Amino acid sequence: MTFDVKKQTPNIIVWVILLTLPLWIEHAGSYIQLGTQVVVMALGAMALNFLLGYTGVLSFGHAAYFGLGAYGAGLTLRYLAPSTGSAVVVGVIAGMVAAAVIGPLIVRLRGVYFAMVTIAFGQVFYFVAFRWNAVTGGDDGLTNWKRQPLHFGPVTFDIQSNATNFYFFVLAIFALAVAVMAFLLRSPFGRTLIAIRENERRTRFMGINVNLHIWLSWMISCTFMALAGTLYALLNNFVDPRALFWTQSGTFVIICVMGGMRSFWGPLVGAAIFVWLQDYLSSLTPNWQSFVGLVFVAVVLFFPRGVLGILRRRALE
Amino acid sequence: MTNDGNSVRFDRRTLLKAGAALGALPLAAPFVQVARAADTIKIGVDNPLTGTYAALGKNEATGMAMAVDEINAKGGILGRKVELAIEDSTSGDAGVAVQKARKLIDRDQVSFIIGNINSALAQAIANVANEKGVIHVVPGGHTDSITGQNCHWNVFRVCNTTQTEANAVAGSVIKSAGKKWYYLTPDYAFGHTLQAGMEAAAAKLGGTKVGADLTPLGTTDFSSYLIKAQAANPDAIIILQQGDDGVNVLKQAVQFGLDKKFHLAGAQLELEVLLGLPPEARVGTWVFECYWNQPNVPGLKEFVAETRKRSGGHVPTARTWFGYASIHTCALAAAQANSLDAVKMAKALQGFKLPPEIALMPDGAYYRAGQNQLIPNLYVGHPQAQGKDDPEDLFVVDQVVKGDDVSPTLEETMCKQDWPA
Repeated sequence: MTFDVKKQTPNIIVWVILLTLPLWIEHAGSYIQLGTQVVVMALGAMALNFLLGYTGVLSFGHAAYFGLGAYGAGLTLRYLAPSTGSAVVVGVIAGMVAAAVIGPLIVRLRGVYFAMVTIAFGQVFYFVAFRWNAVTGGDDGLTNWKRQPLHFGPVTFDIQSNATNFYFFVLAIFALAVAVMAFLLRSPFGRTLIAIRENERRTRFMGINVNLHIWLSWMISCTFMALAGTLYALLNNFVDPRALFWTQSGTFVIICVMGGMRSFWGPLVGAAIFVWLQDYLSSLTPNWQSFVGLVFVAVVLFFPRGVLGILRRRALE
Repeated sequence: MTNDGNSVRFDRRTLLKAGAALGALPLAAPFVQVARAADTIKIGVDNPLTGTYAALGKNEATGMAMAVDEINAKGGILGRKVELAIEDSTSGDAGVAVQKARKLIDRDQVSFIIGNINSALAQAIANVANEKGVIHVVPGGHTDSITGQNCHWNVFRVCNTTQTEANAVAGSVIKSAGKKWYYLTPDYAFGHTLQAGMEAAAAKLGGTKVGADLTPLGTTDFSSYLIKAQAANPDAIIILQQGDDGVNVLKQAVQFGLDKKFHLAGAQLELEVLLGLPPEARVGTWVFECYWNQPNVPGLKEFVAETRKRSGGHVPTARTWFGYASIHTCALAAAQANSLDAVKMAKALQGFKLPPEIALMPDGAYYRAGQNQLIPNLYVGHPQAQGKDDPEDLFVVDQVVKGDDVSPTLEETMCKQDWPA
């Protein structure tokens, strides 16, 4: 495989920025945890975009898998084992299993019906977390646990109290997840998903099992969403049912649309804009949500392909 | 993939770009970080400014601002001026509340952090504050575990626990109405703990449960529950719903005439809620944590007058006092310890009695050692449909309860503090 510098430019830029972030973020008047938050939200949004941008299926219930990941991680650390590694694994498996079970029930639906049923299933998990006080702590959230330092034999990597280490831990997982998603999208499987997005009927006539592909895409998307959820729980050392609520799904959709659904890095750009806007504007005015909303409306009206979409079109022109 | 079909004309794009550039100008401000004045002490406030709790948050903020002015007028904390750094925690998003707590502690280097009205967010902030070893004062999140099972050496709370409020009201209801109670409980964590608290409080005084119904959050029609409650023929119907649910159930109970046949009661009620209720739903026996129209409380008149000045004529609510006492707690801790070291300040607050002009309670208020919970007075009484001399005088205090008499014992709270070595 040859290395095409021009084609790789966006990737290089993204990774240089992300890897050097701890060096400059404090000079930019911000703080490292905000960077971590951007990466976590970006992972979630990129997971959603796998389904939304590359398969053309809108899910409004992805918060369920985000929250399942978060609760999976939190409950593991609280009740099972003080190990960050197993927390991540359990969270991801929880999200994946739920997606695998729910998938077959909804893959036959399309468009707004699909979106509505995903909300409905998502809310089921929300209410379970909200009502099952004995285990999840209900509305008060799940507390009394902390992310634990990582042990590699004799070496200990302290992600518990060192925020920069935790950032790199999150970034490493992000890199791995993004690499897997990029690999999948470049494979024939990924091309089939794009074919479904572009013309589902034609894809079906070519003898491709469309529902099976959507189910797989859904499961992959939800699994990575759950991974983002586990990282979110570890970042906050706290989970509450809000992580499962449908408005959280909306946040991810907004991030994808802002950044650009058709670009691989679009959701990352969207997450950076969204998280930063929220953090910055909400310190200035209690009406910050209106301004975030205005930005969103402006993006939808003027750059329907998102911030990266417009940049890319400029480059092509 | 080029975008065809809806190409954007050049002139509009130029206009947009110009607009975006103009809009981005003020956003560049954080990059020009303001040099931190070394002679001020910052108190971080991570409390709701938006959402369900925005109104309560605003009242707490009024109290906080008042306390800051008083402290600065007397020379500040350890000779340094005090300044508030205020962030919106939202009313329900723990992720945002945690992010803001970190921003306040890591970036703004606050010496204290205050928050939150929402108990869940208060716990989430407490975790961050404990991790960073910063004094955290919870003004108004009531759930027991903050100064109970999940208590920390650095987390102090001004408002009462749910159990304390339940104990306070239980005695009064048993005395005035009787021992057989029927519960109407909202079906989520808050409702469940409150009902358990009421049952425990009643059991100690010989009260019994004749029935209970869990109502889903957002119920609008309570008639079936009310009919069941009526059929059980209790001495008192205990109504634990809050917000819109609370308004609906009270209105319907009055329409059914239940307030004439039975005693209606509940646990905590706030003046903000009472003001929002229609006059006919202002019934029952409740607990107030602070009430403005009280005789013989030193400093209260001045506090009311000052609040009226700052809030366009409105009287202080319990929330105003929570905010006020929280900020004063920070200043008093530093003065008492003569240091800004969190551990020293936390030690200085163990068993610390607030001065009367800040406690604003007939019997004073102190932070209980080993739990960091403020033990003040509680006011049990009943609402009145219309205020006689003041439209905001809607509560009649029947009994002033001593916090010491109704607070669960230290063992009962299950608090085990984790002091740093």
